[in-house]
Amino acid sequence: MATRHLITGQNNCAPDGASSSNPFGALANALLGQSSKAQSIKELPGASVNVPTTSDYSTSAPLSTIPGSENEFRQDQRPPGWGTEFIHGGSANDWVESFRPPGHPVVGGPAPNFAEFDQIYSNAGTTSGPALDGPPQRVLSGVLHSFLSSGRAGVPFQPVPIPALGLSEGDKQCIRDRSCIMARHILADQPEEYIQAQVNTLLHSLDIDNNHRMRNPLQGPYPEMEEYWNQSQNALRSAPMHNAADQWITEFGKQNNNPDDWAHSFEQHHGPNGWASEFEQHQSQMGMGQMGGANMANLAAMQQSRMLAQTLSSNNDPKFQNSKFFQFVSKMSRGELIIEDNQVKQGSASQSSGWADEFQTQYNANANSWADQFVHEELSQGADKWVSEFSSERNQGGLNEKWADEFSKLHVDDEWAEEFSGGAFGESSADPWADEFQNQLSASKQNSGASRGVYVFSEMNPYVGHPNPMQEGQELFRKGLLSEAALALEAEVLKNPDNAEGWRLLGVTHAENDDDQQAIAAMLRAQEANPTNLEVLLALGVSHTNELEQGEALRYLSRWLQNHPKYGGLAPPQPTDSFYGPDVIRLFNEAAKMSPEDADVHIVLGVLYNLSREYDKAIASFKTALQLKPHDYSLWNKLGATQANSIQSADAVLAYQQALDLKPNYVRAWANMGISYANQGLYEDSIRYYVRAVSMNPKADNAWQYLRISLGNASRSDMTAACDSRNLDVLQKEFPL
Amino acid sequence: MEESKLKAARLLLQMRDHLATDAGKELAEKVGFVYQLNISPKKLGVDEEIFVVDLKKGAVSKGPYEGKPDATFTFTDDDFLAISSGKLNPQMAFIRGKLKIKGSISAAQKFTPDIFPKPSKL
Repeated sequence: MATRHLITGQNNCAPDGASSSNPFGALANALLGQSSKAQSIKELPGASVNVPTTSDYSTSAPLSTIPGSENEFRQDQRPPGWGTEFIHGGSANDWVESFRPPGHPVVGGPAPNFAEFDQIYSNAGTTSGPALDGPPQRVLSGVLHSFLSSGRAGVPFQPVPIPALGLSEGDKQCIRDRSCIMARHILADQPEEYIQAQVNTLLHSLDIDNNHRMRNPLQGPYPEMEEYWNQSQNALRSAPMHNAADQWITEFGKQNNNPDDWAHSFEQHHGPNGWASEFEQHQSQMGMGQMGGANMANLAAMQQSRMLAQTLSSNNDPKFQNSKFFQFVSKMSRGELIIEDNQVKQGSASQSSGWADEFQTQYNANANSWADQFVHEELSQGADKWVSEFSSERNQGGLNEKWADEFSKLHVDDEWAEEFSGGAFGESSADPWADEFQNQLSASKQNSGASRGVYVFSEMNPYVGHPNPMQEGQELFRKGLLSEAALALEAEVLKNPDNAEGWRLLGVTHAENDDDQQAIAAMLRAQEANPTNLEVLLALGVSHTNELEQGEALRYLSRWLQNHPKYGGLAPPQPTDSFYGPDVIRLFNEAAKMSPEDADVHIVLGVLYNLSREYDKAIASFKTALQLKPHDYSLWNKLGATQANSIQSADAVLAYQQALDLKPNYVRAWANMGISYANQGLYEDSIRYYVRAVSMNPKADNAWQYLRISLGNASRSDMTAACDSRNLDVLQKEFPL
Repeated sequence: MEESKLKAARLLLQMRDHLATDAGKELAEKVGFVYQLNISPKKLGVDEEIFVVDLKKGAVSKGPYEGKPDATFTFTDDDFLAISSGKLNPQMAFIRGKLKIKGSISAAQKFTPDIFPKPSKL
């Protein structure tokens, strides 16, 4: 999850599009912001407000110097102008004014209109004309301003006495979560204690209890958690992500080596009641009754064990472990651990220990079987018998980690454990569970928007706001920095969605980065903008060939001929949508006779022969083209891939090597190299090439999957955990090229 | 098999070639089961095409197996591709109802991504 995403709060405060009415979102945008002022004014709801051009904040520290913000820009179709508004546009009051629809009177006195405020602040649906009255908002933004400026100035934030704001629980949670995150951005160069002190003061003055832990409704836990995971591994390795669970986690970090102490301090900080009541709240919030305890139990168990397995996988680095642990806990805190709701609904004091045991039992039950099943993805057990085996294995699990052990000593409650084992898991059948799981997955799929043919933008893009992203993208592409180039070009096509060349180059970049799905999506946009571009049509033909989609590939390659100024006449006058491979090949052979010096015709022919699986002819075509264009690295790769697909893997390696000599950062060729070695049974070698490919483009999913398979084939299952957690450091160290 | 419009057919053709190589023969020896694949373009069971991956003989063919295959798998074209490339865990596919299995469990267990060749990308 992009930090901005967190901050602008689509998860529990306001969905996309509505977060503009959220002061914290605005503030976050201001801090990370990049948009022009003019744009932002247009976007204000009820935008009848004139915004002053002078500002208290426009002269403050330049945004680009904010530490830690360099990579945190979020690319977003929604104009992020609010933040700029907030910073540059004028005082807090002006900003607040801007929320007021025209004609709506200001309520002068300190009589806060709580209901309306709540509606605006945490409302999910309304994007048009929010009716908002001043006082709470004004007070709030005043406080936030002083918080912000104290952060900039590096002085401790002075709490200010403010009237009761009547913030709802949701509001408080928003503020709590986001202020923690934001503080880390603003104060990234400050010691952790200082940041926490700042946040605590702020929260205290807003009468928000910082001991609550972050939670989210159960929406799309998978992508979210995985992104969390990536983030904690990469960006935040040096500064572990904290949220409202700050104290708790810090405590854990300090006491990491002494689980006993940790457990104590955990209890001190939260007390049995805190957890339990939080837990209870979740239940009522999420309407768990409908979902059915057993289903949830299974679902949660699966997710949790997945996390557990990750936690267990490697724990050399305390920070690493810390962040994982944080995720794990934050997951639980989102209610994914509400398994025995019948248990938890009872008295609060016993609930805490109940929870602990629940966790303990879960852990016992699942660490072995579930983790094995789902994380290591081995067919270790027959799928048919799976459910019954699971229940028989449930009690076998052993403790794999000390802290869990300690945890269990702390709260022993056998009775509960018995109930647990006799309850949810025993009674549940596989079918409802599977349905539930599937719903969950399809939901998360929808959330990620990764449907076919739809271009998926990166969440964090430092090039948004770049004065000339197109030039930058071309430059980066030329230097071979493909992933960077893709970001710059994404920024370009966000700015100019009709820039066919921008989309085309973006597509080429993705193809070279071994991502055909994204390449196709980008090329489709390029084709939309310019339907007759020959390079685009060829690229679409190639990518669809790679995806084994013959019909589509043939269609685009035929259009290539139809739209060619020279060979267009060869195509049948009535363009049809049903293409017959041999016919198309015949036409291209005629074209090749017309101008045998045109390398492009031979390239298309090579692709067409790949489609018809006439590999010898394909190889001959590409070799002809290479005589005309010996420095075309993508052509060398095409030759290699054709040879590999026609089981001439040894030759393929030589061709790939040519491509890599010409373009060392050619991820596709590295990945193909791995495939060729794997096809020859040289799994160790293939691993090294796959690792090289994924270290150049960590988003190369195919290469990751192939890497995993090769690890299994090479009897290096010891490294699959590193592969699953996409731990490049470990892999690169283990498999240098 | 060549006429099939399925993506699976293309992969299986490549597999047929691959099984002729040394690495392929080694692989077939290691597995040694006969799998029947019932693959539908979009919806399970609709317009199904049947292929046989015979890793006893190291052969791939179209049409139902004459005799009793060790295991029979039913899935859609996309899901088969996802499984063969390692994108989708067969067990997960089974649980999610995307994959139906008939036959011996031990044979089914060996139906993993590593028996399939990986298409190289142009």
